[in-house]
Amino acid sequence: MTWPIADFDEIRRLRVLHAAMPGTLIAETRLRMPFAQVWEALDDIGTAFPELLPDVRRIDADTRTGERFTAHILGRSGLRGRFEIVMRPGWCVMQSRLLTFAMAAVPDGEHTRFGYLTGIRIRGSHRFGGLLRPLHGVLGRRTIRRFERRFGAA
Amino acid sequence: MVDSPDPASLSGLIQRARHGDPLALHDLLDAVTPMVRGWCGPIALEDAPDAVQETLIVVLKHLADVREPAAFAGWLRTVAVREAVRIANRAARAIPSELPDLPAPGDPSLAADVDDVLRRLSPEHRAILMLRDRDGFTEDEASATLGIPIGTVRSRLFRARRAFGSAWLGRPARREAQASREAQASREAQAGRDPQASPDSPGGHR
Repeated sequence: MTWPIADFDEIRRLRVLHAAMPGTLIAETRLRMPFAQVWEALDDIGTAFPELLPDVRRIDADTRTGERFTAHILGRSGLRGRFEIVMRPGWCVMQSRLLTFAMAAVPDGEHTRFGYLTGIRIRGSHRFGGLLRPLHGVLGRRTIRRFERRFGAA
Repeated sequence: MVDSPDPASLSGLIQRARHGDPLALHDLLDAVTPMVRGWCGPIALEDAPDAVQETLIVVLKHLADVREPAAFAGWLRTVAVREAVRIANRAARAIPSELPDLPAPGDPSLAADVDDVLRRLSPEHRAILMLRDRDGFTEDEASATLGIPIGTVRSRLFRARRAFGSAWLGRPARREAQASREAQASREAQAGRDPQASPDSPGGHR
């Protein structure tokens, strides 16, 4: 007897992560380019991240073996940070001592549904997260527009 | 049966994840999502992705309340089953069926895909069938998971099995009706494409 197994995609997984991390920003969009092309570009983090992510001037990844690795990021503001990263097709989570970043992508016909999450890792940030929500809207749209410019908006 | 991850490794993950460590949350999602998909799928059917999402949100938001990591898997299962029933009822897509007869255990027909039959049961019936007949839970365990008395577990299971059997036995008649509808639609489509076959077309009557 074959019992049904629920589908669960990476965009939904990103929403769960957002709900579990109060104070984080989440934004979603639909990109014109197909998933394979979008993720191939994003997987080249040394090129894609400085182009698409706010405040990333340069990223130097340690040797990637498997889906976990570390990278050093130099921000446009001059700040440096060491990030632990998990990256696999359709899913990326990064964390430093102060910041969290994640993105998810799933095929949507010939296009791609894409989600982006970011937040500050400071004790108690969930308490003032609500105050930052209007700012999140602006920052989220601004970041998403970078991805839409790069991959097209569907 | 849905396999549970090793309780010792879960315990360490829960400790890290409850402090909001994003990579620990990622690891915990990897560990528990397959189980939650297995519990929500048979109960919530088309709405199962919503049920999985809601279950995981509830669980991750309440990690701080997990006093005893050894009890985590049981709590996770309870949340998943109840969320799946709630969301399936909210969607109101159930087609409850209360008909007689039950196929015998081991009936080869049970090996076939059961999606269509499950869709004809209520979410509560799907839940009790999954817990008792798929996962092999005792009446006590099913009672605790669903939050209902043991007497209700017994009566609900009896009705669920009866409804399942009847829906299963009704499949040939439904297939025949479906084939008849498709044949009729095909004839109508053919008639629409072929003016000769249409009685309303100039050449339809001789």
